[in-house]
Order: sequence, then C-alpha cells, then structure tokens
Amino acid sequence: MRIENADRFRRYTDAETFDKIVDYGTITAMWKHCAEEYSELTAIEFDGEKYSYKTLDDDAAALRSAIRGAGVQPLERVALIAANSYDFVRAYLAVVTAGCTAVVLPAHLDETAVFGCMMKFGAKALVYQPALEQKTAFAKQRIPQAAFIPADAKGESAVPVYEAAEADPCMIMFTGGTTGKSKGALLNHGAVMQGTVNGCYGYEQVFFHRMLLVLPLSHVFGLIRNLLAALYTGSTLFICKNNQDMFRDIAAFRPTMLVVVPALAEMALMLSKKFGRNMLGPDMKYIICGAAAVAPYLVGEYGKMGIALFPGYGLTESANLVSGNPECAERPDSVGLPYPNQELRIENGELLLRGRNMLDCYVGEDEQAWQDGWFHTGDLARFDDDGFLYITGRIKEVIVLDNGENISPAELEARFNALDFIQDSQVFEDVDEGGRHFLALEVVPRMTELASLGENPMKAIEDALWEVNSKQLPAERVSRIVIRDKDFERSPSMKILRYKKC
Amino acid sequence: MLMTRTEIIEKLKDIIISADSRTAERADSVTEDTNIMQDLGFTSIGMLYIAIAIEEVFSIRFDNVGISDFVTVRNIVDYIEGKLQ
Repeated sequence: MRIENADRFRRYTDAETFDKIVDYGTITAMWKHCAEEYSELTAIEFDGEKYSYKTLDDDAAALRSAIRGAGVQPLERVALIAANSYDFVRAYLAVVTAGCTAVVLPAHLDETAVFGCMMKFGAKALVYQPALEQKTAFAKQRIPQAAFIPADAKGESAVPVYEAAEADPCMIMFTGGTTGKSKGALLNHGAVMQGTVNGCYGYEQVFFHRMLLVLPLSHVFGLIRNLLAALYTGSTLFICKNNQDMFRDIAAFRPTMLVVVPALAEMALMLSKKFGRNMLGPDMKYIICGAAAVAPYLVGEYGKMGIALFPGYGLTESANLVSGNPECAERPDSVGLPYPNQELRIENGELLLRGRNMLDCYVGEDEQAWQDGWFHTGDLARFDDDGFLYITGRIKEVIVLDNGENISPAELEARFNALDFIQDSQVFEDVDEGGRHFLALEVVPRMTELASLGENPMKAIEDALWEVNSKQLPAERVSRIVIRDKDFERSPSMKILRYKKC
Repeated sequence: MLMTRTEIIEKLKDIIISADSRTAERADSVTEDTNIMQDLGFTSIGMLYIAIAIEEVFSIRFDNVGISDFVTVRNIVDYIEGKLQ
C-alpha cells in the first residue's frame, strides 16, 4: 500500500486548519518558522518558569554559537544528555540548528556509558544539563580533544541557523531493544519533519494546545510526538519535573492534550474512578496513546469522559509515527490509517515499511536495517477493507503447534482483553506430563471492574473466558485458564515477559 | 485529620489493593513489614499510582521524597503519621 498524501485525513479536520499543516522539509526550516510565527507565545513551562518561543530561540542561538565556537562543524555529531527539562529543549534545538547530528543519550546513563556512546558514535562534543555534569567526568578524561559544553553556555558571535537539506542527518535515537539489543537509529531531517507533521493528522483541533510532557525526551514518542509536535503547532509544553507531581501539574496547567503509554493512561483512569473525578482535568480533549498495545477498553472509558484517546503505531526507526486512528470510537482496536509518504507491505503476515519517515541506517552496528529495500518491523499486521491497520502480534512470538498451525498469541489475547474486566492476558504453549503440547491462558483481572461482576467475580470471569474460548477456531482454543492474583513479570518498558515453557 | 495507626494501615491497604489487579484476599498478607517493591512486585507506574492515591486519601504531600524511597509499608505509615500530626 502506497500513501502519497494526507488526503485520507482531510475529513477529520476543518479545511482551513488542515491547509495550515505544512511540511517545512527540515527541522531547521521548521524551527525558523515557529520562532518567527509564534514569537510571543509561551513555548515551554518548566519548574515555575515560562519561556516564550522568542526566548527559546535566543537561548538556542546562544548555545549554538558556543557549540560552533568550540570548533564543532555542521554535519558533525554532538551527543546530548539532559533529563526532561528546559535545558534539554534548548540543547536539542541548538545542536540541530547548528547543523549537527544530535546523539540523544538517555539521562540515566552512567559516566562510563556516556563515554562509550561518545566513542561509538564519534561525537565531537557533548552538550549536557549542568545538573548532570558528573556524568561527563570519565569522558572528559578519556577524550580530551572533545568539547564539553553546558546547556546554559553562551557563545560570543552570532551563528545563523544552518540550512539543512532533507537528506542531512538530524539525530541518532536509541531503539527500545524489543528486537534485540538497543541500537542507534539515524534519522534524517526529512524523516523527523515527516514524523512531526504526522502527529497533526486525524483530529479537529490541531494548533495551540496546552500539552503535558511525562515521557522521556530520549525516546521518539516523547521527542517527536510530544516536544516537536508541540513546537510545530505553536502549543505550550509543560514539562513535568517529577512525574509524581503529574496530577498536581495537571490541576494547575489544565492541559488539552496528553501523550502517554497505555499503562499511564490506565493509571489515570483508575485514579479517576477511585476518586470520582476526572484526574486529567476539565480541559483535556485528546490523549495520544502508543508505544505498546492499547486496550479498546481505554478508548471506551475515556470516550465516556468526553476525551478522545487515539491509538497509534510507530517505531524509533520510523521517526515515531507510522499510523494513527482518527476513528477510535468506531474501531478502537485499530492503530489507524497510515500517514503520508510511506509504503506498507505485508509479507508472510509481517509488516514491512519504507518511506520518507524511515531511518537511514543503524549506526555502528553490523545489523542492516534494510533488506531488499524494506524495513522488517517484526510485527504481524493486517488491514481491514477501509485501509485501517491492525497489529496482531510479534513474529517472534508465533507459536507453531504440533499440527503445523501458526498461532499469534497476541491476536488471541486481544479477544480475551476485549472483556472489560480483563486487564492483561498471555496465551502460551505448555506441555503436560504425557508430553502433549497445548495452549494455555493466564489473565490478570481489572480490579476496578470486579464489583460489577456480582458475588463470585472469579467464577464470572472464568465463565466469560471459556465462553470467548468456545468461539475460537478449534486450533486456537486454549485448554487451561488461570486467573492470576498478581501482575505478569514485565520488562523495564512495561512489556509482559513471555513464558517459554516449550 | 486525626487518624490512628490502624486506620492509616487500613486505608493504605485499600490503596495497595486498588493499585494492582490482585484479589482482595491478598490484602490480608500485607503487614507493616511488607516490602512494597519486592513483596508486592509493583511496577514504577504502580508505585506512582500509590504515591498519588496516598496524597489524595490522606490530604498530604510528599516533600522532597519519592515513593520509591520507602522500602516497607511501615516506612510509609511512619511518614503519613508524621505528616498528619
């Protein structure tokens, strides 16, 4: 499927607003436009301070001058380490508008890892948040020829914004490592611009939001969909200093849009139910939800609160956004319509991608990102008749039964997860004492829904699960069901650690 | 808000139960010695839920301290008790 333009999304936005969704080609050109167009508006709120687009532009320009003053040239790589903060934003913009490639390091890296990344990616300089200065010590000692520049540095002479080309490298981001070890994906300006614009399709109010940031800026979902999309749309981004204060920040800031992973959306929903009020505040309109499978239950429950929760799909390698679902109420289990300038193909069930938003390559890895011109996502997918995309599992998780039948556990799990009182489930292959292989199901119930199930909720859950099971194809039916009394083991990124019993 | 230690523990148990999808029977096994992270296996988002719910339920605020700084239920109860005095 080739998607050349955004016309499919036109119907979800009024014509005047839709025509303002303009692609500037590169992030440098985009920032020049934003700094000029939104000059007096507030770009960032952080730690009690407000920073206008003009202030941010001036601060980024001062740091850009310091970077160039340290002898770093356009197209060279500059590592960046900062926690979510105003410092991160000005440092990122300074590095990119200097024409350098930002190597975005996760803020939790220790000093030896910072050194290792600078070596691996050939960084000529490290821009750091002053509060993280101790993380630079080891690298300073070992790479004396590199420049180490605090994010509040100011250069002496003005350096104009570099006029990048679309094919120029923009940034290196670490992948989540779900396909193996974490790798550095190189994204060019065109890819990051496309990823940013993609975030604007599929809903009514596009510009001038009040957005809250709780995701790490070292991840594409935080950096592209939250920060860059906020700047692109003239919105104000409130950066939470401490996620524990998230709901106090929401009460004070009254955001209109939130970008979160499903676990956080679920937590906010649980709190709202427990305390009988909308914890996301009265002005919240949209939740952009992704980075893991989104339960249709979340779409439905937020819908009842008057909040549209849009599931989407993306990867680090695709500059975050591949698709987003503008019809979440009608098709809550879909990750939506593919965004423009991409080609999507399904081969042996696996989703393959290519297009403008895709990475150039992995940096410093033997592993090739491209096979015969396509990026293999490792995700199993299908389209419906209207072109909406559904992710049905991971290729590595496919269970091959004795009879040769291929089963995608995630596809079966989605059917059990569709029950409101099921929070999560896992279908896996087990083996009995006689050596017979069979499918088993374990579920974690959703506590907030148990009260609605009468006097014996466990029995009710079990009956409902067997009922769903009986409607599956014979080869897809499970032979054992266990209702767990605690959550599954999870990876640091909240993904369920799958059983390997066979 | 005046509250006995037993009342604080009961309310805290109620939060712990609602924070994760486990059955009500599990509440009986929660004692002051229970290690929040290790024994109950909460994720970081589960811990965040507990912190926010505690602030709501007890009308207190964690000052310069994160919920992950507490090891046992006793540590949290002590903190809440101190705040309520």
